Amino acid sequence: MSNKNKLFGTMEDSVSTQACSHSHEIEEEPIKQLPKEILLRIFSYLDVISLCRCAQVSKSWNILALDGSSWQTINLFDFQKDIEGAVIENISHRCGGFLKILTLKGCQSVGDSSIKTLAQHCPNIEHLDLSECKTVTDLSTESLSRHCVKLLSLNLGSCSNITDESLKFIADGCSNLTEIDLSWCNIITINGVEALARGCKKLKKFSSKGCKQINDNAVICLANYCHDLIILNLHSCENITDISIRHISRNCIKLQKICLSKCVELTDQSLIAISQNNHALNTLEVSGCHQFTDIGFQALGKNCKYLEKMDLEECNQITDLTLAYLATGCPGLEKLTLSHCELITDDGIRHLAAGNCAAESLSVLELDNCPLITDRTLEHLISCHNLQRIELFDCQMITRVAIRRLKSHLPNIKVHAYFAPATPPPITSGNRQRYCRCCEIL
Amino acid sequence: MPNIKLQSSDGEIFDTSLDIALCSLTIKTMIDDCGIDEGEDTVVPLPNVNSTILRKVLTWAQYHKDDPQPTEDDDSKEKRTDDISSWDADFLKVDQGTLFELILAANYLDIKGLLDVTCKTVANMIKGKTPEEIRKTFNIKNDFTPAEEEQVRKENEWCEEK
Repeated sequence: MSNKNKLFGTMEDSVSTQACSHSHEIEEEPIKQLPKEILLRIFSYLDVISLCRCAQVSKSWNILALDGSSWQTINLFDFQKDIEGAVIENISHRCGGFLKILTLKGCQSVGDSSIKTLAQHCPNIEHLDLSECKTVTDLSTESLSRHCVKLLSLNLGSCSNITDESLKFIADGCSNLTEIDLSWCNIITINGVEALARGCKKLKKFSSKGCKQINDNAVICLANYCHDLIILNLHSCENITDISIRHISRNCIKLQKICLSKCVELTDQSLIAISQNNHALNTLEVSGCHQFTDIGFQALGKNCKYLEKMDLEECNQITDLTLAYLATGCPGLEKLTLSHCELITDDGIRHLAAGNCAAESLSVLELDNCPLITDRTLEHLISCHNLQRIELFDCQMITRVAIRRLKSHLPNIKVHAYFAPATPPPITSGNRQRYCRCCEIL
Repeated sequence: MPNIKLQSSDGEIFDTSLDIALCSLTIKTMIDDCGIDEGEDTVVPLPNVNSTILRKVLTWAQYHKDDPQPTEDDDSKEKRTDDISSWDADFLKVDQGTLFELILAANYLDIKGLLDVTCKTVANMIKGKTPEEIRKTFNIKNDFTPAEEEQVRKENEWCEEK
């Protein structure tokens, strides 16, 4: 110990004076001491903008800054408008096999020829986000299929030119794929989904939000081949029926997140099937599934004890009984949306507030347009200590006084409510927010 | 914990507690390979590190000796440079020559924590600067011809705000 004390006692004064004692050459450009691999390591901490600037410093820095190893992960979302095809082609050349993650979300000028160059030069890419690259067509997926065997996740959301051919290409060339997002690829049909399901059996996440042509047969194909599905989003796939859900829940028992919002044909039979098979379920979004009743949610409450997030907006047949079932069966419930569930009353909220989820879990509760709830609801919620946010728009029987009282008990809570002024003020400008909770915003 | 003697390039001997010296994987390998017995007068020569820098390195290692070993897994996480502790930031308030020598020493001695924090410090000196400001900061000569410079500027202008 004594040695150490001696050592560290003399350190401070000697450092600053001796540090500059190098030869003249080094003093002129000290950074030249650093070997290439160290500079690359430094560059690995830099963002895209800084790297582009380093590339302009000198010839040797140009080579190093554009070295592929600094460009493994690139997100060009912030530059979306400026990304012309040439930029992608430049990046493809400089990154080569190093590129693993590329986000081109919203880069609308990016077309098939750029993606072709990318696929040819960057065969090791694992995650590619092309969402909102609206000019991309099946030619892009053909290139990806040919060169990018290691692709794990592909986002084609809002690439509305994508057809079934794309899914066939992906099925042929990218059998390792675990995640695919086809939201709003409107012309996808059963044919594409069947090919995809056969070719990419490792799929864990499938989203076909807004693909109106998806039908029961398409979902059954997924159910038959992709048993590892964890996340399934069929938002607005209006044609699917309970048959789909019965198959997928039985074959894909690992499902944890399911979105069936606006699948209006579904009935309680779907909820019962899910409750019997998907016990790991933690997120269920079923907004606008207006055929669901207390019977379906009774089954869920009984069997799906890991539920954390539920969106039941406009499930307008459900009553306080649903809340009683969830309160007993789902201790982990964090976020619950009951907007437009018009039969919900104070009594339902009383069940919820007395339930297992109340004290620790429940943090967000959306109750807008629940016309029957009154100030008593807010009194019940005082016991929900973790409540962070509550939505009360258009709950006509809620008063300011009650909100104030709730806030005095839960000081951190955010309450969103609106009280019309006594006399409406004149409209001052045309820029008024056009935001209306009761209308659908597409 | 026994002590160990480290010899810097300029011949100075540093009698150091073994647990501090073992922060360096290079020293650890040397000891593992050669074997060391307590009480024996083994001197580990470090011909690539001078006494000034070695003293700084040991100060750093002393302060960080109870840190958890960084794992390979940390590499895959998103690279941040805003997480330098205030002690480290203060410790690294040195001239560029010293900073670069510390990087070289950390690299040679294989001390991942010190290498990370010194490289982050240099990255922070680059971030937010224009190419000309970067040249000034590190005294780098612009060896592009005007035509080349214009070409390179064009290739990289997509990332600049319009």
